[in-house]
Parts: sequence; structure tokens; C-alpha cells
Amino acid sequence: MQKLYINPLPVRIWHWTNAFGFVLLIATGLQIRYLDLIQLVSFRTAVVAHNWIGFVLIANFFVWLGFYLFTDKIKVYHPELSPMKYFRASFRQMQFYGYGIFKGDPNPHHPSAYRKFNALQSMMYQIIMMLLVPLQFFTGVLLWDVSRFSAMVEMFGGVRVVDTVHVLLFILFSGFIIVHVYLASLGHTPSAHFKAMITGYEEIEEEPKHGTSS
Amino acid sequence: MLGLFGVVLSFAGPQARAEGSELAKEELACLSCHDKVEPGKKLENGEILSLAISTKAYVESMHKETSCEDCHSDIDAKTHGKKITPIKSKRDFTLSMRESCRACHKKNFTQYEDSVHAALIKDGSKEAPLCSDCHNPHTVRSTKTVEPITATPCANCHENIFKAYAKDVHGLARIANGKTAPLCADCHKAHNVQAASLGSGVKDACLSCHENAVDQHKDWLPNASRHFEAISCPVCHAPTAQRRVNLRLYDNVAMKQISEKAGVPQFEKRTQAADTKDLGLNERALWSLLKEFNQDGGEGKTVLRGRLEVLSGVDAHQLSEKSKAIRDCKTCHQKGAEPFQSVTLTIAGPDGRPIRHVVQQEVLTSLLATESVRGFYAIGSTRIKLLDTLLIMVMLGAVSVPIGHMTIKRLFKSVREKLAAERIAARSETDGQDSTHHRRTDDDASKNSRS
Repeated sequence: MQKLYINPLPVRIWHWTNAFGFVLLIATGLQIRYLDLIQLVSFRTAVVAHNWIGFVLIANFFVWLGFYLFTDKIKVYHPELSPMKYFRASFRQMQFYGYGIFKGDPNPHHPSAYRKFNALQSMMYQIIMMLLVPLQFFTGVLLWDVSRFSAMVEMFGGVRVVDTVHVLLFILFSGFIIVHVYLASLGHTPSAHFKAMITGYEEIEEEPKHGTSS
Repeated sequence: MLGLFGVVLSFAGPQARAEGSELAKEELACLSCHDKVEPGKKLENGEILSLAISTKAYVESMHKETSCEDCHSDIDAKTHGKKITPIKSKRDFTLSMRESCRACHKKNFTQYEDSVHAALIKDGSKEAPLCSDCHNPHTVRSTKTVEPITATPCANCHENIFKAYAKDVHGLARIANGKTAPLCADCHKAHNVQAASLGSGVKDACLSCHENAVDQHKDWLPNASRHFEAISCPVCHAPTAQRRVNLRLYDNVAMKQISEKAGVPQFEKRTQAADTKDLGLNERALWSLLKEFNQDGGEGKTVLRGRLEVLSGVDAHQLSEKSKAIRDCKTCHQKGAEPFQSVTLTIAGPDGRPIRHVVQQEVLTSLLATESVRGFYAIGSTRIKLLDTLLIMVMLGAVSVPIGHMTIKRLFKSVREKLAAERIAARSETDGQDSTHHRRTDDDASKNSRS
């Protein structure tokens, strides 16, 4: 079994801060929106906590951005420039999750320190990290102080529109986290990817000379 | 004319003389007749106009320096009391006397002309107050010496509101402490009185005394500035009041509330056309109504600005002690919250009073009304219902995908094991063939070497 250092320390710190932060944001967000159904803490506490966690995660986002911008690890986010190659890789990955995995086919993606994401992950994470997460933070900041940012809120169509975008993204992230945790359990062992995000080392199964792994 | 009054003066009684010692001879001459209980003057409409003026009250009044003739310049001493001058009604007489007030009180009169009271009179109101309805010209006293509460003329018309005020925190404080607590005019102004539910004048009045209110709220209330913009003070400070959402038609370019033009009743015409069944405006009606208003002045000019307020003037005057004010966010921020059960659309009427039309409460939770009521949103209580459905669907989907995938994986376990076994067998066979092949090659080599 080969070990590959795939998740550097700053990435792991960012990831788990982000993970716990998002869970807390979802929990407090649910209570803020559905006070008639959920009352774990007072509404005010939920709002104040939601705001603070939001700001911590905004700072955390810049930890992630800074790390990738100022190290060569940015390569993991480099897009595949050949659309045909990218499409084939995506299709192979979808075929694996939708069919091959049931037969015990090997994962078509072989991670390395500079190519840790498969084609689907690469596309998803770019959309999430460069578009959806910043948009969620942005709408969150506008809602944090609607009066202070009233001109901008008005420019985007009013507080109801800004809140709708914030809630739509909240719904998306809530769904994403569930699917994300499940997909993380589809390594060569159910805990392989989780361990990798704690220790930094991904265990890579050595492939047999011919054929496939189980 | 006043010469005659001088003659009359010589016949004035001793009491009038003592009380009226500060008055000029001319005034005393008038009062010598008018300071009597008399039957009054019968007017054309049958009303009796009292002509009695108490010398004592007049001497104590602000007008003691003013001569009778200053206001009653139309009276001819030669014919006064001899020839009957016809007067239609008390109202008509009061109206005719307004110009006398304007002559000295220009500033107050100009302010009054901007008031909702003056607008009502222009609109033909027979009840809206004229100067002398609030200020009896023969007894008017400085506001510094007027007894609080009981002498407030506003109570004459706004009786129910005044009764509520007299029992609320301001009224009780006024009775107990006098001028440190506000009376009507302190918040609503004396002359340029505006409809309290239009603009933000009354809120400014609250903040003029409660200067630190915004900062004090910021200490515990998230988004305090926004709350101050969108909620009128009594909503929280009159905890027993009934509340509603007021969607005001607002001019986004001129940055002010839209007013109905006099003689062009567009609002009522359009709202009635959009709500033929009189069930209240729904989201579609509201949207098309806004579109109609925007046709008058360009897209995006007319918007709705939502505001939470109390239902009536009586509700607004039930202000409680600070400690009893609503601080519980649940009052507003949850589904079905009481303040959001009543919604109204408002325009400022030409007479300065709001004109309203009922809006269906569902508008606040409809996705289709996102554009119409874009400036009004209260977390929890006005949440868009469709997003709740979407959340449930996404959650079900997000849970179903792993469960479905795991189930299929489990179902395929035997297939997977079989295929794995075949692969191992195929591999070992290949390995076996390889080793046989190697052995054969070795044997051949040894044979060849032997041969």
C-alpha cells in the first residue's frame, strides 16, 4: 500500500473549519428560518451565532484562497483545457459511480499530489469555491446589515431577492454536504478519504499487473 | 367708531373696570356689553353664536394687548348692535375670521396651511379644525401656562385617541410630571400636523426625545437600523396593539411616498379594477397595479415600501413602560406571526390622509410577489413557501441518493464477489500459464543445453 501526501495542513485546517462552520450555519440558519419548528437556542442567539460563524468562514475562505494562490498546489484546480479529454474523463467518472462501482471496477481516477480531484470534483469544486461560496458569503454580508448595504441590496433587486438567493444556496449546500459525506465514503475503504483529510495521507492501492482491483 | 365705545365705557360696571384695568378704553367699551351672559346671536342655520367674552379671561389671555378692532375691523361702530348682520353658520363665521389670525400669526398660519387639517378643509370638510376651534381668541393663553391634558383642544375631535393617550406612559407622565412628558403637539406638531401613518415624522418625534434609542437598540437587536426603518415604534412599545403590514406606494426617484393627485382618483380606480371581487389584492393584481403606476413615470419609479405599523391611532397611543415593550423576536419572526396577518396597500390621499386597499396576506409568502414586495421581508414570517418545498425535495433527494446507491451496491454484492473471484481465477490462471510457460522455456533451455 502506497501513501501519498495529498492534503497539506492548511487545506486540512480550512476543510474542517469549513465543514463544522457550514454545519453550524445550516443549523442556525434552519432555526432562523423555521423558528416555528426549531427552537434549540433563542432566535437572537441563532442570528448572532450565524453572523459570527459567517465571518469566521469568510476569513477561512481567504486561508484557502491564499494557500492555493501562493503555492504550486493551485495545479489541483487547473482545468483540463481539452474539452474532449475532460468530457471523456467526466463520463468515465460518472460511469464508475453509476455502474462500474457496483461491479467492483476500479476508480478510473488515480490521484496524485497535483491531481487529487477527478474530473467531476474538479468542475464541482471550481463552481462551488469560486462562485457559490463567495455568492453565499456576499449575500450573507448584505443581510447581516441591510441598512448599511441598502444601495447594493436595492441594486440586486431588494432584500427579498437577496434573501432568496441566500436561501437557494443554503438549500444547495445542505444537499451537497449529505452527498459529499457519502461520496467521501466511496474510497477503497469507507474511511479512506476521511483519514486522508485528517492525516493528509491518502492510501493508494497498488494495482495488480493485469486487470483490476476488487 | 371707537368714540362711541368711549361713551359706553363710562357706563361700564365697577367689576369690569377692576378686571379690565390693564385694557385700553376701547376694549373695555366692547367688554362692557360682551362680558355678560346673553342669549347670543341666532344664525341663519338656527345655531346660536355666543357673543359673551369674559373680561377676566381676556385680560389673562395672550390677546390682551390686541385691540378688538384688530380682529373685528369689519364692525362699524355706528351700526354695531343696531343693524343685524346676517351670518350663515358658526363654521362660516369662523372661516371668515381666519384672515384676522393670518395677519399676525403668519408663520403658524403657513405651517397650518401645509397640514392635514387645512387639506381637509380644502377638500370640503365641515369638521376639520380652523384656528379658533383650537385657540379661543378671547381666552387663548401661552402654552407655557396652559394646564396639561385637560386643556388640549385635540381631544375635542380625537376623543378615543386622547383617552388612550391619557392612560399610556406619556399621558400618565404628563399628568404626574407636567411638561417633561409629551402632549399631542410635541409629537404631531401644533400647526403643520400630518397624518401619522404617512412619512416618518412621528418616528423622528420619538427620536427627538429618545436620542439614544437607536444605539440602545443596537446593543441587543440585530440589524437595529433596518428595524427602525421598517417598523414604527408603537409596534413594539404598545404591546397590546394590533399590527399590520403597510405597503406604501413609493417614488424611487423622488424618494418620497406617492400622493394621489387631487381630482384624479387613480388609486381607487385601479385597485377596484384589480380587485373586482373585493377579496383583497393578490400577487398578480399587485404586480399589474405596480406596472400601471410605473407607466405614469417610467419602469422602476414606483415601488412598494413595506412597513410594520399598528392598526389605528388608538393602538398607537397605548405606549407602555419600556420594560413591557416587546423584545421577543418570536412575535414577528415565525410562520403565522400576528403582525403579518393583515396587509394593506397605501397611497397618500390628496387631503393628506392615507387611502388604503386590502392586500391578501398570502402575497407576503408568494414567490410571484418577490418583485412587487421586494423591499419588505421579515425572516421566518414572510418566507417564500415554494423555497420550503424545494428544501424538502432537495433533502429527500440528498438522502435518497446515498440510500439508493448503497442499496444497489448491496444488491450487487454477490455479482461483485463473483466477478472478483473470476478475476482472481483469471489472474492466477494467467499467472499459472506464465509460470508454466517459464518452466517450459527453462525445460527447453535445459534440453537444448543437454542436447
